[in-house]
Amino acid sequence: MGKPTRETPLQPKLESDDRFPHLTRRRVLAAAAAATAAVTIGAEPVPALEPLSDDMIAFKNLSVALTGISADKLAPATDALELKQDYFKWVMDRRPGPFTTLLQIAKANATAPQAIVDQSQANLDTRFLARSIVLMWYLGAWYAPDDLQRLVESRSGKPAFISHTVISPKAYTQGWLWRVIQAHPMGYSDMQFGYWTRKPEPLEDFISRTSIKGT
Amino acid sequence: MANDEIDVAIVGSGFAGALIANELAKQGKRVVIIEAGGKVPSDINGYMARFYKASAKVPESPYTPAMFDINGQFSDELNDPAKVPAGRPTVMTLDPNTWMKPEKAYLVHTEKREDGQPVTPFGSTYERVAGGTSHWLGNSLRLVPSDFMMKTLYGKSEPSFVDWPIAYDDLVDWYGKAEAELGVSADVEDQKYLGIYFSDNYPRYPMPRIPESLTDGAIRRALTNLSPAETQFLGLGSPPTEIPVRGVPAARNSQPYRNRRACAGNTNCIPICPIQAKYDPTITLNDALNHHNVTMMSHTVAKEVVVDGTGRVSEIKYVRYGIDTDIKAKTLQNLRTVEGSIKAKIFVIAANAIETARLLLMSKNDALPNKTVANRSGMVGRHLMDHPYYVAWGVAKEQLFPYRGPLITSGIEDLCDGPFRDTRGAFRVDIGNEGWNFVVAGGAVGGDPNVTAIDFVNGVNRSGLNADGNTGNGLFGPTLITTLNANFSRQFRIGFLVEQTPDPHNRVTLADQTDGLGLQRPQIAYNISPYTKRGIVAAKQLQDLLFRRMGATEKKFDYTAVADDDPTRFEAQIGGKTVGLNYMGAGHLMGTYRMGSDPDQSVVDSFQRSHDHDNLYLVGSGTFPTGATANPTLTIAALALRTAERIAKRV
Repeated sequence: MGKPTRETPLQPKLESDDRFPHLTRRRVLAAAAAATAAVTIGAEPVPALEPLSDDMIAFKNLSVALTGISADKLAPATDALELKQDYFKWVMDRRPGPFTTLLQIAKANATAPQAIVDQSQANLDTRFLARSIVLMWYLGAWYAPDDLQRLVESRSGKPAFISHTVISPKAYTQGWLWRVIQAHPMGYSDMQFGYWTRKPEPLEDFISRTSIKGT
Repeated sequence: MANDEIDVAIVGSGFAGALIANELAKQGKRVVIIEAGGKVPSDINGYMARFYKASAKVPESPYTPAMFDINGQFSDELNDPAKVPAGRPTVMTLDPNTWMKPEKAYLVHTEKREDGQPVTPFGSTYERVAGGTSHWLGNSLRLVPSDFMMKTLYGKSEPSFVDWPIAYDDLVDWYGKAEAELGVSADVEDQKYLGIYFSDNYPRYPMPRIPESLTDGAIRRALTNLSPAETQFLGLGSPPTEIPVRGVPAARNSQPYRNRRACAGNTNCIPICPIQAKYDPTITLNDALNHHNVTMMSHTVAKEVVVDGTGRVSEIKYVRYGIDTDIKAKTLQNLRTVEGSIKAKIFVIAANAIETARLLLMSKNDALPNKTVANRSGMVGRHLMDHPYYVAWGVAKEQLFPYRGPLITSGIEDLCDGPFRDTRGAFRVDIGNEGWNFVVAGGAVGGDPNVTAIDFVNGVNRSGLNADGNTGNGLFGPTLITTLNANFSRQFRIGFLVEQTPDPHNRVTLADQTDGLGLQRPQIAYNISPYTKRGIVAAKQLQDLLFRRMGATEKKFDYTAVADDDPTRFEAQIGGKTVGLNYMGAGHLMGTYRMGSDPDQSVVDSFQRSHDHDNLYLVGSGTFPTGATANPTLTIAALALRTAERIAKRV
């Protein structure tokens, strides 16, 4: 479920195993709503619930640690949009070696998000890929690790342009940065007339309470 | 419809063309519209998908001809201006490296103006589907009465100014009709400034005003309790102690209107409203096309207006085209063309201030003065104007939560007229609700939220917001979230639309370079005058005043930057300091077939009828003799409705 809603139940930040997700009526309805949204932008049909592979659990924990978005929001058990599958494949197709290393880091530190972050940044091999993965979740776009490295190396000079690829229309409309800034993707909002006259709902409502407290 | 049955042929299906077609349709007139671009799609899903996938969400990104390849990347091949049958300028070809390159940019800029002055970029773009304004914002402002009499009021100081052949009084009822057709949301009392009045039978706009955003409110509060010393620079009669912030009348629904929804604040008026709460010309065009007596020929480019021996237009020659566009292979291939002509009793050219001038200049006729149709005055293509747009961006001391609501909800209108107009260009101000979306780092390295997000994830500082973190070390997890939230939620930007003087040397002519149909492309000579630059200087001074008050507790609050290699850059002295300033395009193409009473000094009369050819009308903001500061669309619409009534009586 990628859209902010005040009613999404709060979940622990990391889930070491969600092969038997606790299904509630609310979560099913949320998934159905997401599926409706997905259809309008050409997403694939809702897949049946299947156990996640160890690699996918690792990717989920890696993504949660790097982005700070709680697991239930980033990759819910009933995931109508299945961005995690798209993103996993996207990265594995392009950077299989460093990505495998990152997955191993996540497996070794399943309950220690800061360790995942620290170890991902310790080596050049994984440092910029980890950042590409954050940007992927945040913006629905792929910034190549080499380009991010180039930006860092030239950071004292004139600001440089780097290109990116929007992974899909679905990815753009599910970018987490928009929720992090308590807004909505430009051109994709389900808010109501006049909402802009008021302050948004609390940040926690967009990304879950646990992630903001860092617990 | 057989050719001899056509009452009115209209070239162009944008605001003016669509409105005239629809008015004539309602009265049973037989109308054919010739449109260079594609037809109106049955839904906007294709536009939306193209927008979402585009790597640069520029105003043209949803529309056709396609600019981006299947991966959403800008494609030089697909945008080759020598191959595209009916091309257009785009933001992607306006950067410092391409604007002067005819092999990249559709508009060919000359190296110098004919008076020897240097040329700077014409920064505005347009579309080829339902007119140049598909990607407009929706701002629907009336001109103020002084705007129609610039020579009378300020002509002694600025000799380039001329009067319009009509006054506000002549348009007041037409403004009301245009507001009904477009569906404008505003408050009558709020809009009574600088002499604007409303007819007695016009108690309210079609819909209540769009309410203000948090940013609007912060700016409104910042511009109260000013000291006269702070506002002296504005050159008003007496320095104001408050500068009002008003709602911007918007063709954007604040309630359901004519089967369209109320605005849901998608923050995407430009390039495209995903729910069509914003009016665009396809609304009226579809209404017109629902009449059996109206047809549209898409992918049809008018190439010559033919005048017969009696001085009347007899036909318009056109070329219809088809081409295979492959966004995967990035090829334009297999161009097919068919030539033809269309005869009608009356002809209307509604193809914007660049393409209308181009068509007239392509219509050569040795028997006519200046050997060109409608050009006895020699004014066709001259006096090209825009609203040079100076943009500033900063960080407020309080959270404003941008990237929410319509792109613009409020502005400053009370500085559109005053005694300062003897010495400098007036301006109006719009207040953005989209943070630093298109302004971050001057637009040179991409847009926000991407640029600022990368700064904090990657430990760099292209936005300017991450000076302390420009270490190469990124932020992650909860720290990243709170840092991004704190930085984005205080972004704001304002823009100043400055009045441009009508300069005969700012000119559209025909380039040697051709388009995909072999037709000569528009050639542009353009710069901005000292009078207009002084308007930008005053804009900068207002920016300084406002930003001090918006971010007074911050060590740095103004992030506006003008790049050294910006081709629009110029320098000015403000308070003893040299300051770099610049301008962007506002998308407001005006002036190239000006209206006037004197056939030797103007191209059309106040009904937008050619002085030279009785059955030829040239419509749109190309007829504006002066540009004022208001976004031109509502005035285009009012004039079009007035012209439609006149045409309807003649056929």
